[in-house]
Amino acid sequence: MRGARLGILIAWLAALAALGAVVATQLKVGTDLRSFMPAPTTPDQKLLMDQVGEGPGSRLLLVAIDGGDDVTKATLSRGLAATLRKDPAFTQVVNGDFDLGMLDTRLMPYRFLLSPTLDTQVLDENYLADQLQQRLEDLSSPAATLLKGLLPRDPTLETLKLAERWTPTRSPEVREGVWFSSRDEALLLAQTRGAGFDPGAQDEAIGRLRAAFAALPGSAGSHLTISGPGYFTVVVNAQTRDQADWIGRISTIGFIVLMLAAYRSVSSLLLGALPVATGALAGIAVMTLCFAEVHGITLAFGFTLLGVAQEYPIRLLSHRRAGESAVASVKGLWPLLLTAIASACIAYLAFYASGVGGLKQLAVFTITGLLAAGFTTRYALPYLLPERARDVADTPGLARFRGWLDGLPRPRWLPIPVAAAAVAMLAFAPGPFWQNDLSALTPLPRDLLMTDARLRGELGAPDVRYLLVVQAPTADGVLAASAKLEARLREQVAAKTLDGFELPSIYLPDLATQRARQAKLPDRATLDAALDGALDGMPFRKDLFAPFVDDVQAARSAPLLTPDMFARAPLGQRLAAMLVPRGDHWVGLSALSGVHDAAAIAATVVSAGADARLLDLKDASESLVAEYRTRILHALLAATLLLLVTITLALRSVRRAWHVLAPMTLATFLVLAVERMAGIPISLFHLVALILAAGLGLHYALFFERDTGDPAEQRRTLHATVVCVISALLVFGMLAWSSIPVLRAIGLTVSLGVAFHFCLSILMAPHARQDRLH
Amino acid sequence: MRVLDKPLVVSGELAWLGGDRLERRVDTPMRETSTIADGEVTQEREGKKPRSFSLNRAPQLKVLLDSFVALLAGDPSRLGESFEIALGRDADRWQLTLTPRDPRIAKQIASIHVYGSGNVPRCMRMDESDGDTSIDLLGELATAMPAEPTREGLIAQCGGAM
Repeated sequence: MRGARLGILIAWLAALAALGAVVATQLKVGTDLRSFMPAPTTPDQKLLMDQVGEGPGSRLLLVAIDGGDDVTKATLSRGLAATLRKDPAFTQVVNGDFDLGMLDTRLMPYRFLLSPTLDTQVLDENYLADQLQQRLEDLSSPAATLLKGLLPRDPTLETLKLAERWTPTRSPEVREGVWFSSRDEALLLAQTRGAGFDPGAQDEAIGRLRAAFAALPGSAGSHLTISGPGYFTVVVNAQTRDQADWIGRISTIGFIVLMLAAYRSVSSLLLGALPVATGALAGIAVMTLCFAEVHGITLAFGFTLLGVAQEYPIRLLSHRRAGESAVASVKGLWPLLLTAIASACIAYLAFYASGVGGLKQLAVFTITGLLAAGFTTRYALPYLLPERARDVADTPGLARFRGWLDGLPRPRWLPIPVAAAAVAMLAFAPGPFWQNDLSALTPLPRDLLMTDARLRGELGAPDVRYLLVVQAPTADGVLAASAKLEARLREQVAAKTLDGFELPSIYLPDLATQRARQAKLPDRATLDAALDGALDGMPFRKDLFAPFVDDVQAARSAPLLTPDMFARAPLGQRLAAMLVPRGDHWVGLSALSGVHDAAAIAATVVSAGADARLLDLKDASESLVAEYRTRILHALLAATLLLLVTITLALRSVRRAWHVLAPMTLATFLVLAVERMAGIPISLFHLVALILAAGLGLHYALFFERDTGDPAEQRRTLHATVVCVISALLVFGMLAWSSIPVLRAIGLTVSLGVAFHFCLSILMAPHARQDRLH
Repeated sequence: MRVLDKPLVVSGELAWLGGDRLERRVDTPMRETSTIADGEVTQEREGKKPRSFSLNRAPQLKVLLDSFVALLAGDPSRLGESFEIALGRDADRWQLTLTPRDPRIAKQIASIHVYGSGNVPRCMRMDESDGDTSIDLLGELATAMPAEPTREGLIAQCGGAM
């Protein structure tokens, strides 16, 4: 017998090792938070989902360098920018370096097609004479040293006009050649290649940024401040993991102490852990088979939800009688246990129906895990447990506790006042019922947000909330529409409803505009004659402007500049981020900064006559969350009905089903009511936690409802339930103290739920009253 | 200047308005007033709307301004911040040679020579790194400007004040 037991244990451990090996080799953990957001349905929502991670605003890191004198900080800023510009993890780095090389030499002749000068001018003798006269004056002016180098190739200063046009409207103060904040920090903007809400990619990019900074000579005395959506993603991720880790460690110790106190056996503790371990490994293994990538959050939530499975071995351990083999005990328990497993699976099935990638994974994980833990508890664990066990019914004090519980009044009318109280609390609770703002659950420290707002303001960095969307069948169509908007938006800037904007057409005019400008360029003979006339009486060297004449000729015959060609220029990435193909059409995405009057801007944009609109990402995300919730609620409703049928069939009695389902339902609404009364708006995480609590409550009710008529068995039921309740309170009560809203939401909801479910299942259980009648 | 056939001559008045403000008024050949004040350079020309750009866009200009103001205010420590200073004396005449400390400025301005006698600066010569030279004849020397000046003649005239 002993040998057989050892054989089973070895086989089981080997199976676990095999599962572990599958998981270790196959598991690919993803971190993109978007897979936990619902599938978008409207075009705005689709755009939102793209923008949330990939949009130019969300990929922007704001960097401030502090410490040391201005020269040191400026040198560090230039050094950092130079390193990052070579790093493939970053698509764009700007630090205010006034860079005439924004247009590389290959594209220099195109300045005539890119700059709006030729829209109102021609390169005739009058214009050139006027320009040359101005240059002569410039040479005698304080600006001479700035312009001298440009003169032979660009006497009309087209490159300066372009540089001015491409410099953000509101840029910070430039000192020592780079941007400085009003607090004397050197400022820098870095755009990452990775998505903004992908903590993995962002963490790597930020790591490289910090390493690049640390490698700069003289950086030891200075300090780097980083902000932006990507940085927040990393901070939230690290904080959540950190808190979850230490809470997890404390609860694990508490759990071990509890198990030892309850069963006084180390082997029971170790063996009792096997089903849950099996469930977790089996769940991950099945997930790796079903999905290409498993989300980190699925794993974290999954292990939490799988906590329900710890009940199965606890029930088995508590319900053993002295002298009865574990196999015999489990056979007696199995029908009820199976009902519990089935109902928990049904509840988690609701996640699958939600249609959200991450929640589907969660459903697959938990359902597989519950089934594996349940069936190993039935078919493997009993054969390993020692033949003889201590009967927990004899635990000191338990009988007295049971007696006290039995002595409590159990009025039949109890559900009515409880329900009435819950309804009243729900009706009169302060504040909004639902939490639609996902960012409210973002646990960002206030000073981080303040720093972000300050740096964003100083840098004139785009508002992450608003986005100007232009659509057209072709990329050129988008550029043409964007050109129409440019004048309108300038009016808005003048009217102070807007601080600044970016448009794709600022960087690259549409083909028709380029063609019109090209047509205005004179041929070599005409230009030479005009230049000769203009130079008459001027002190300039006659052959000085040959490079200018060459450039004009090159621009006359050059093929028009397309987005593809422009993409290879230093500024190409900026345009590529603003001009993106979507299915069969092209979309222009423009960031706005300092939106003061969204309604006025929206009206202007619509009236411009292009297919364009102002997208409020906050609105879109809230509508998305609301839709998401509706779907989950519908799925929950279906799961509830299914549960009703399952319990009624399993217990073969509507009356008994009522005794199980009524306390569970009432307790669930009571939790909702108490949280609402405390002013907490209900978020998706609260809903998930409510489902978990309901699953636990269902177990309590099922076991309390069981009418055995045996006082010792009732004590065992109470023992098992008390162990379950304490272990759940240990884990989730700890979470409720977390400073992270998501963890707190789950912890508080489940703790309250467990407490209410326990009290109501006892007070509404039928048989104790019958005992007294007997 | 290399880009020009012959020296470019302008005349007018340079006035220090106190603090970091400097006004440079040109009377011939065209009328232009440049003001450097509060970190902004404003150029006003007859018949044109004023142009202005931030002094931060032109760090070399800022250094020039610093040197001018420090010279006019007689503030040697401020001058020493931006330049290596060498002083040559001969009776009551003196020559001050300023070499920029910042390598980025030095890329554009090789050195500035100020010549004077007693406590009056008489001429200022700026040698740019690309070989161009600009000379400011100050005070009475300005009236001695020849009708057809040459580069060499002007350098001699400026240094001749020594």
